[in-house]
Amino acid sequence: MVEFRNVSMSYNKGFDVLKDISFKLEPGSMHFLTGPSGAGKTSLLRLMYLANRPSRGEIIMFGRDVAKAARDDLPKLRRRIGVVFQDFRLLDHMSAVDNVALPLRIAGGSGPQIVEHVEELLSWVGLDDRMLANPSTLSGGEKQRVAIARAVIRRPDILLADEPTGNVDPEMSERLMYLFVELNKLGTTIVIATHDNNLVEKIGAPRLHLEGGKLLHLEGTKKTVDLNADIDEGTS
Amino acid sequence: MSSSFDFLSQVKNRETTTLLPWVMAIMVYLSCLAATGSLLLDSGFDDWASSLQGRITVQVTGEDRDAIIAESLEIQQVLRTTPGIVSVRILSDGEISDLLEPWLGAGNITDDLPIPIMIDLGTAEDVYINLDALEINIKAISDNVYLDDHAQWLSHFYNLAYTVEYTALGILVMILLASVCIVIFGTKSSMSEHKSTIEIMHLMGAHDQMIAKTYQNRFMYYGFKGGIIGLVFSFLTVFGLLILIQNLAAGLVEMPTLPYLKLASLLLFPVLFALLCMLTARITVMRVLGRMV
Repeated sequence: MVEFRNVSMSYNKGFDVLKDISFKLEPGSMHFLTGPSGAGKTSLLRLMYLANRPSRGEIIMFGRDVAKAARDDLPKLRRRIGVVFQDFRLLDHMSAVDNVALPLRIAGGSGPQIVEHVEELLSWVGLDDRMLANPSTLSGGEKQRVAIARAVIRRPDILLADEPTGNVDPEMSERLMYLFVELNKLGTTIVIATHDNNLVEKIGAPRLHLEGGKLLHLEGTKKTVDLNADIDEGTS
Repeated sequence: MSSSFDFLSQVKNRETTTLLPWVMAIMVYLSCLAATGSLLLDSGFDDWASSLQGRITVQVTGEDRDAIIAESLEIQQVLRTTPGIVSVRILSDGEISDLLEPWLGAGNITDDLPIPIMIDLGTAEDVYINLDALEINIKAISDNVYLDDHAQWLSHFYNLAYTVEYTALGILVMILLASVCIVIFGTKSSMSEHKSTIEIMHLMGAHDQMIAKTYQNRFMYYGFKGGIIGLVFSFLTVFGLLILIQNLAAGLVEMPTLPYLKLASLLLFPVLFALLCMLTARITVMRVLGRMV
C-alpha cells in the first residue's frame, strides 16, 4: 500500500531533511513513527499526505508512484488520505460540525445525511454539546478530537496522525486510540507520529524510527494490549 | 469534477476585500462618465459637422450698405448659374442679428455696426465645384467678398473630435486595466488572509477549480454590486450636467442629439465589470494555486 524507495527530501533546495528512506507498509497495517524533534517525522508525513514531492526516490501509494503523479491527479488521491495535524488546523470561521463535514463537502456531498453522520461521530468523541462551537472556543483536547473526527469521517484508506493524543487526558487518549485501532481493523492503513513511548508500547504496533532524517530501523512488535478490554474495564 | 462549495461563506470578520464593491463603484462611475462623454461628443460632432457639410458661406463686406447690397444681388445671380450650386439665399438682417446676439448680447447690435451680407449656398453632393474659379468670378464683382467652404475649420474640428474621443477611450481602457490590477491585488490579499484555510482545502483534496469558484463568485458579486452603484451615480451626474449645460449654453452651442440607444449600452457596464472581476479573480487564484504541489 505504501512504499518508499530511496526517498530524500529537502525544502527549497536546501539540505536533505530526509535521507534515502526506504520502507514498505502493508495494506491495513498500523505503524508508529517515532524519533526526536527535528528527526523528520512531519516531513515524512507531508510526503505521505502529498503536501510535498520528494527531491529523489519513488513513493508508491495506491499502486502508483505518487511522487511523479500529475498535479491534476493529486486531489483524488488526497481524498483517500485522512490527516490529523499536530496543530489541528481547524478552520476558525466554521463550527465543529462544519469542520468535520469539510472532507465530505469537498468530495461533493451535501444535505442532512452529512450532518447526521458528522454529529454521530462528534458525539462518539464526546463533543455532543460542542458541535456548534467554533474552534476558537474549544479547549486543546476538544480541538484535537474535532481534528481526528475530520480525518476519519470519510473512512480513508490511509490515516496519518501527527501527535494525535498530545493534548488529551489519558482516558480520551485511549478512546481515540481505540478509534484508530477500529479503523485499522476495517482495513485503514495507519501511521501515527508520536513521542509517547507508553502509547507505542501499549498498542504494540511496529515502529518506524527516524533520527537526523534517516530511518534507523523498522521494528515490529506484537500488540500487547487489547484496547477493547481496556475501554470495557474503564467504563464498567 | 469540481463541485461548488463556498468555504468562505461563514467568514464574519472584516475582510480585506470589504471595500472592493465601493472601489468597483468608483471605477464603473468613471468608466460610464468617460464612455458617456465620448458618446455625446461623437454625437455632437456628427450633428455640427453634418450641418456644415455641403454648405458654403459667401461674405460681402464694405462701408457702404447700399453698395454691398447691390454687389450681393449681382453675386447671387452669378452663383445661381454656377453648376453644382443647388440653393442660394441671402440671410436677412434678422437672421444675422440672431447669429451675433449670443456673442454681442441682446440689443447691442446697432445700425452703425458694419454688418456684412451673408449668402448661404447649398451644393449638390455628387458635383465637384472649383472653389478657386468661383472665387475669381465673384471677386470680379467685388474685392471685399470672401468665400468659405468651412473645409479648414472642419479639418481642425475633426482632428479635435478624434483626439477627444480617443482620449476618452484611452481613459476607459486605463480604468479597466486599473480595475484588473485592483482585483488581482484584492484576490491575492484575500488568499493570503485565508492561506491556512486554502491549504487545508487543498490537502483534503479540493480541486483548484473548487477554490477558484468561491473567489470568482465572490468577486463577480463585488463587481456587479459596485457596477450598479456606479452606474446609478454616473447617470445622475450626466443628467445633472446636461441640465446645467442646457441652461448655461442656450443659443451659444447647439446641444447634441442624445444617442439614447448608444447610451443604453452603458447599462451593460455592471455586467461587464462583474465578468471582468470574475475572470480576473479566477485566473489569479488558478495561477497562485498552480504554484502549490
